[in-house]
Amino acid sequence: MSTEDLIETFRAQLRDDPDVASAVAAIRALLGFLRQDRGETIQGLRNSLRDAIDTLSRVDSSVAVSSGGELFLRFISLTSLEYSDYSKCKEIMIERGEIFLTKVSLSRNKIAKLCHPFIRDGARILTHAYSRVVLRVLEAAVESKKRFSVFVTESQPDEAGQKMAKALRKLNIPVTVILDAAVGYIMEKVDLVLVGAEGVVESGGIINKIGTNQIAVCAKAQNKPFYVVAESFKFVRLFPLNQQDVPDRFKYKADTLKTGQNLTEEHPWIDYTSPSLITLLFTDLGVLTPSAVSDELIKLYL
Amino acid sequence: MGRRGGGSGSAATMPGAERGSELSEQIEAFAARLRRGGERPRSEDTARQTLSLLRKIVGNGRWSRAGELMDLIRTEGQRMTAAQPSETTVGNMVRRVLKVIREEYGRLHGRSEESDQQESLHKLLTSGGLSEDFRTPYPSLRANVIEAINEMLIELEGTTDNIAMQALEHIHSNEVIMTIGYSRTVEAFLKEAARKRKFQVIVAECAPFCQGHEMAVRLSKENIETTVMSDAAIFAVMSRVNKVIIGTKTILANGALIAVSGTHTLALAAKHHSTPLIVCAPMFKLSPQFPNEEDSFHKFVSPQEVLPFTEGEILAKINVHCPVFDYVPPELITLFISNIGGNAPSYIYRLMSELYHPDDYEL
Repeated sequence: MSTEDLIETFRAQLRDDPDVASAVAAIRALLGFLRQDRGETIQGLRNSLRDAIDTLSRVDSSVAVSSGGELFLRFISLTSLEYSDYSKCKEIMIERGEIFLTKVSLSRNKIAKLCHPFIRDGARILTHAYSRVVLRVLEAAVESKKRFSVFVTESQPDEAGQKMAKALRKLNIPVTVILDAAVGYIMEKVDLVLVGAEGVVESGGIINKIGTNQIAVCAKAQNKPFYVVAESFKFVRLFPLNQQDVPDRFKYKADTLKTGQNLTEEHPWIDYTSPSLITLLFTDLGVLTPSAVSDELIKLYL
Repeated sequence: MGRRGGGSGSAATMPGAERGSELSEQIEAFAARLRRGGERPRSEDTARQTLSLLRKIVGNGRWSRAGELMDLIRTEGQRMTAAQPSETTVGNMVRRVLKVIREEYGRLHGRSEESDQQESLHKLLTSGGLSEDFRTPYPSLRANVIEAINEMLIELEGTTDNIAMQALEHIHSNEVIMTIGYSRTVEAFLKEAARKRKFQVIVAECAPFCQGHEMAVRLSKENIETTVMSDAAIFAVMSRVNKVIIGTKTILANGALIAVSGTHTLALAAKHHSTPLIVCAPMFKLSPQFPNEEDSFHKFVSPQEVLPFTEGEILAKINVHCPVFDYVPPELITLFISNIGGNAPSYIYRLMSELYHPDDYEL
């Protein structure tokens, strides 16, 4: 499968189903790549997959695509350890890949089921930018007949908050869009903060749209619970200690990185929120405290 | 839950049916006792009674496959926990037994004993299909499960002693320890330390039931220098205190506590003075629930103690509440001392994964 085909498959996934997570689209594209691969050895397969993942990161440089790719590689390694015959191994990989994709498509519903009991009747929720998982959780809360109102930050520079507000209005949830700068002002009125994540790092912290760290700090200062909802395929093997440690390739869009200009003039698109500011993480592996996240990653990678 | 013997009324089914209804009566009586509340039952006794009932269900109940047994236990467990939601030990014991059944089934089924029973990223990637469905009947399952429950009962006996054995590591001479209300675990802990060390104890009386008084009487019988003071004075005295040692009713999955009313105040005062807060609680009090909307842990009793009915006219104009329990968030706790040793609150999730299976968190 050529690079253009791969990129086209990936883009087509995102176009046809705007609800799909970019990591899932990446994994699906990689599975298609695997099917069409003509190699004969595991080593060759791994190398071509690495190249494929690089290609995809050049299209969409988000953390999610990186974590999806990493997970897929890990999946290949684990499966190849069990079967020495290459063609049998490939069959099993494709079969398991399909099962994995079916399971992760259910993960948003699992998370919604775990999270919506934490939203009380009459709650005022603050959320940030546009997150499909948060949308699903709020949908589940509406289905269980809870009444609540939502504040969404406008989330510049792409005004993702407006998109979220529109989607929420369709669900008949009273929503107010607030300025990013107004988070400190609104925090006293809010009962809980609920955000999604683009990546969950080893320490239990999260990488999310720029502005999340500010919200977390304000929430901590006012003793409001800060909940994160994320699927398990977003767990990445990163351990940033501060904002600087987050690799540049995640902070800026792929196009900006390609032009190779001086990045100090650019505004980053994501930031890192440390685990001490997070109350609980809702994932399809269950409700986790930030310290439990590293345990999960160790179980996978070791 | 009447389990009548199917069919012909032969000698084999009649005693089974009788045992079934007698068991059902015992469960009903247990649930009724829980519902009534009344005297403060000792958590260890509740746990022991629950385990004995569950053992009887396993031994005498009508089931042939692990799946049926688990459904049976789950139904009975739901009935018992619904009777008194604030008694979380009942639910905990039911979940322990369910995990035991899963383990014994897995062992008989020939699966390795790793924790591949838990959901994990690893399992998501490598599993080939459906999960266990517990269909295969194994005749030795009954005996194995009963033996495992017996082991749990023995473990239950030793919990207070195991906790008390760790006392000498934590209490040093000439220390001032503060505690609140009456906890039998803390009493045993302090008594054990008093055999070799000399220290003082300040007991907050814990209004309105004032169980602190009883605690003080028992401690002073062991020649421990004890002072009783009112709850309002907790903050004032805290600067002189070296450690705060308390018991609790329940430990929640995020490391928080559901403890007797007044504990949150004590914890905040301790945090303010950077005094370590140690919680002595056995592992059967660990519950896999998170604090959330249901708030089923709250229990309110008659406000007679707060404002007696003799006050007359004023009662028509005001609302009086008497909550029994308090929520203490995990940030305020320094250390949990349990029968398996000392642990930080952030480690609770790990202990939970060893005791319970994720599918059983919701009974």
